[in-house]
Amino acid sequence: MQITLTVNGEQRELEVTPYTRLLDLLREDLGLTGVKEGCGKGECGACTVIMNGELTASCLVPAPQADQAEIITVEGLGTRDNLHPIQESFVEAGAVQCGYCIPGMVLAGKRLLDENPKPTEKEVRYGLSGNICRCTGYAKIIDAVMLAADKLAVEGSDSND
Amino acid sequence: MMRKSPMKQESRQTISGVDFKEYFQPESIQKALEIRAEYGDQIEVAAGSTDLLVANYEKLHEIKYWLDLVKLDQLKKIEVIDNELHIGAMVTHLQLMKSDLIKKNLAVLAAAAEDVGSPQIRSRGTIGGNICTSSPAGDLLAPLLSYGASFKLQSTEGERIVKAEEFFTGPKRNSMETDELLTEIIIPLTDNKREGSWIKVGRRKALVISTLTLAVVLEFEGEKIVKAGIAMGSVAPTPVRLKGIEAVMVDQKLTDLDYKALGREVKASINPIDDLRGTKEYREDVAVDVMVRALKEIERKVSS
Repeated sequence: MQITLTVNGEQRELEVTPYTRLLDLLREDLGLTGVKEGCGKGECGACTVIMNGELTASCLVPAPQADQAEIITVEGLGTRDNLHPIQESFVEAGAVQCGYCIPGMVLAGKRLLDENPKPTEKEVRYGLSGNICRCTGYAKIIDAVMLAADKLAVEGSDSND
Repeated sequence: MMRKSPMKQESRQTISGVDFKEYFQPESIQKALEIRAEYGDQIEVAAGSTDLLVANYEKLHEIKYWLDLVKLDQLKKIEVIDNELHIGAMVTHLQLMKSDLIKKNLAVLAAAAEDVGSPQIRSRGTIGGNICTSSPAGDLLAPLLSYGASFKLQSTEGERIVKAEEFFTGPKRNSMETDELLTEIIIPLTDNKREGSWIKVGRRKALVISTLTLAVVLEFEGEKIVKAGIAMGSVAPTPVRLKGIEAVMVDQKLTDLDYKALGREVKASINPIDDLRGTKEYREDVAVDVMVRALKEIERKVSS
């Protein structure tokens, strides 16, 4: 069966099965390997994408449910030479250890800051509550999101969006 | 045959390019009901899929026929009709916690929705899915019982309204027939002052299946309680409404009640089991404490 969706601003038409998860489609059909599979059960947040403006566990979305959806993955934020301010902040705060959870963390941070540009630490923790870091490097990840909030406030507008 | 490297995971994806005639994504309720009538218990109904895909991942069962309700926009509305709140079965937890109508009129339900899973789960999981999965630990279920909610079940034959407390029949079991779909949740509104409390006990703050939940909703005329709704989750084979305790509280002044005694009543009314989220004994003891805490919280809200 065929579905049409927009991924990182680009419209794609894809042949899928009901057993294809959005996660498989993004990684295997579109090569967007920034989307990670951790638990496969919606508990770890490594497969997080922004779907129709909301954080979504892509391992829990049957591909046909993504028909007509708008998806943003970490590849849609910045490039290696031109990082998104949130990605910059993760580098500067030293928030990355093994890195596996980071694409999901970055997207959760972005979704939070889109809605709430000046979050408190508590709000950051709540915003990231669906993402697990098994290196347990939460302190610096939270620092990174707070730092990103400051950066974005100085820039005034999110130009990489 | 080449030996697979132990690190390489087999693709979970079945071969693409087949035309899947077993997957239905109807755009009208009528069409959905016709498919449901034709396939009955053979077909798996997909709402937000947050439970369905976990079960599928763990290969608890194979899904052959899918009835995906995601395109039924008619079921994604929250509206007031004749002093009742009508919530479409496909309304997500995120919608519930953000809706002004829900926050204002059903604060306990909004609070419970906010405690479901994680942001990633709340954006997909639905109220209808929570109800039809019928887990005793479903977070929205105790609040729905406390508010005296009813469920509208439709089939090609017509529709019927079932009270929440008559819907749940066992762990993951309910009284829905195999040709029916849950389309709406109906909750009466009131002009009386309504105050409530929601308490979820779990091992973490996020992404946790409840060890125990309590939803208390009290309606006041002046200082007198005129209606009480008390329900709990994860303490019996189904979410339970504690009508005996409600009856004790009606016509009383809240501050005249002995909270601790009511807590002990709660403990005596539930039937929890030992499982990996907590023991029977733990749940019984916590039940007393959460009841006292909930009533104190309502007392504070009423007096402020």
